[in-house]
Amino acid sequence: MALHLNLYHEIQKTRALKRRDPLKISLYVLGAIAIAFACYYVVQRIYMNTLVDELNQKKAAYDKLAPLAKAAKKREEDLTLKVKASDELIHRLEGRFYWAPVLEQFMSVVPRDVQVMRLNGEIPTEGIPRCVIGIDGLSAGSDPRKVAEQLRTSLADAFKTKFKKVTSTFRTLEDGTEVVMLDGKQVPTATFAIVLQLYLVDPEPVKAPTRIKR
Amino acid sequence: MKLGKEEIQKIVLGVLLFFGLVYSYFNLLLFPLLARQEAFDKSIKGLGPTTTAANSQIANTKKMESEAPGVAMVVHQVNALIPPGSPVAWFPTRMADFFKRRGIDRVTTRLNSESVDKRFAGYRKLTWGIDIPRVGFVQFASAISALENDEPLIEITSMQIEAGREDVELQHILITVNNLVKQ
Repeated sequence: MALHLNLYHEIQKTRALKRRDPLKISLYVLGAIAIAFACYYVVQRIYMNTLVDELNQKKAAYDKLAPLAKAAKKREEDLTLKVKASDELIHRLEGRFYWAPVLEQFMSVVPRDVQVMRLNGEIPTEGIPRCVIGIDGLSAGSDPRKVAEQLRTSLADAFKTKFKKVTSTFRTLEDGTEVVMLDGKQVPTATFAIVLQLYLVDPEPVKAPTRIKR
Repeated sequence: MKLGKEEIQKIVLGVLLFFGLVYSYFNLLLFPLLARQEAFDKSIKGLGPTTTAANSQIANTKKMESEAPGVAMVVHQVNALIPPGSPVAWFPTRMADFFKRRGIDRVTTRLNSESVDKRFAGYRKLTWGIDIPRVGFVQFASAISALENDEPLIEITSMQIEAGREDVELQHILITVNNLVKQ
């Protein structure tokens, strides 16, 4: 076998060393990574720009809408107030308490042997909507108390159909001191005071008191 | 293969450069960009419901406006029932004339109080006392019926009827009414 001498081994070694220079290799790797990063960044940047455009478009649209919506809201508030006021006006006009039917009914109920001396009617502003009528008068007859009682029940019966609830109670009922002429006869009298309550809505039922357990 | 001192130094330098590049890329470029992207995305998503709300507000108002003429009509009709000028000037006269037309004379009307009811925006409520010194019950009941029909803005809140001392057929009546007038 012939002897083979490599006289260039030093040069070849230097070349090999140059080829696998770590700094060079790492710079290549870094360069590749940097390019990849730059590409990804560019892609993200493009996406970002589309987002900016979209936001600007939407903002411009909203900026046009915002004053209109604000004006619409104000207009709606005004209209709501007007609608509310209109409803309240209608409610007031239609929900009034009418006294004429009450007076008419009252005239038909009071018998000839009763004289009404005073009638006070009132619509209380607070509490359950109702009409409170106080009737002071004089009843005459062989049994004047019975006449007054008949008036009380007649009043309750007469108004029962027109109101949600009617209460008719005596505040006072006393034998009168004077004697009056009725149908040519002298008859005794009784003075009475009746409180008539005409409820426009159903009053809430009174709750029974509950016992406290000890 | 054995690495020389110089090569190890270069490798270390390369690694340091790599970390520097990664750190700079993420912290100085990519993360701030992603954060801004997220903020923009949030703003876009936030604008969606706001725009929808604004559109629906405009639509609602348009719908209400289309129904408004009915409302305006009620207010217009009510206003037409209220004469111009101070109520103290026209209301007592109006009541006196009204009762006079029904054969009831000597009616006196006085202003009791004045209040603003929040329910009736643009109106105020005046409370009047109407005194009728001598009237028959039937005649009075008939007049009240006509008053309640002719004057829808008037509401009778109380009534005191007292039999006359000299003539029991005639009553002394005091009624309290309230009416609405423009503010």
